[in-house]
Amino acid sequence: MRAYQDMVFSTAARLAGNDGQAEDIAQEVFLRAYEHFAQLRSSPTAGGWLKTVTTNLTLNYLGRYRKRWRLFSELGPADADEDSSAPEPGALPDMLLADLEAEQRRVLIDAALRRLPEHQRLALVLYHFEELSYEEIGIKLHASLAKVKTDIRRARAALLPILESCAR
Amino acid sequence: MRQMTTNESHEALKRLLDRTLHGVPLRRAPMTLESRVFGELARRASLPWWRRSFAHWPLLARTAFLLICCVLVTLAFLGGATAVAGVRSLSWAREIEALMASAGTLAALLARTAPPAWAYEAIAVCAVLYVVLFGLGAAVYRTLYLQPLNDR
Repeated sequence: MRAYQDMVFSTAARLAGNDGQAEDIAQEVFLRAYEHFAQLRSSPTAGGWLKTVTTNLTLNYLGRYRKRWRLFSELGPADADEDSSAPEPGALPDMLLADLEAEQRRVLIDAALRRLPEHQRLALVLYHFEELSYEEIGIKLHASLAKVKTDIRRARAALLPILESCAR
Repeated sequence: MRQMTTNESHEALKRLLDRTLHGVPLRRAPMTLESRVFGELARRASLPWWRRSFAHWPLLARTAFLLICCVLVTLAFLGGATAVAGVRSLSWAREIEALMASAGTLAALLARTAPPAWAYEAIAVCAVLYVVLFGLGAAVYRTLYLQPLNDR
């Protein structure tokens, strides 16, 4: 458990954007792992199994509270013109927060992720941290490919000024 | 041209975030996580068998449970018809049946005699009320729940 608890907790916390929920989810993941202990103890894919279960449990956990409000939350000005989220070409640095220690960078990035709307954060984290494809994200979030791409683009555009202000 | 520039900008931003987010260290799990997991395992282990999930029941108990369920389902099917006949023979059941029949007759009479405009007006009023309540619900949700969440 000690070998994987940081990975499980990090994955849940980045997706959920809430430490309390992440701890509940991590606990549930390890309780399920205990039920499959015989298969997992010598399996080379135990890490992958734990990561998949963590991702699915977090999405289920969030979905329980999100489903009834999805219709309302996707109405209105949040779905404005997509091109308006594009940054100015040539105005981007090579890397953000490059002069910070890794742990400081991690704290700032996690705080920035928490400021994103949930549907954007989920799509962005699944793409950039969990390295899922757009299609896989669409399946996991029960969203169309176009919506996934739009959410990720908007999340990136929203994350940029937050991280730039942290870098200053 | 504009489309190309927009796509290039998005690609550049994607690469920038790839570089920035790549190699970000994991968060340390809370010190309490391990004790919580072991505490929950101990709590579950101390539960008597009938309070655990069905998969963890002893084989004998599972078999007995399934047999009892089968017997009850069979009894329900066999006894259903008898029960319905029994209920119909009761006086209060006959009274309820007569009441329902009268209500049906009254509804049919109203449908025949009332002007059709009344029905259209009633439908319109219901639709307007539905739209107003839906709008109010959406506005309250966006103001009280979604906005504070996005401002965090």
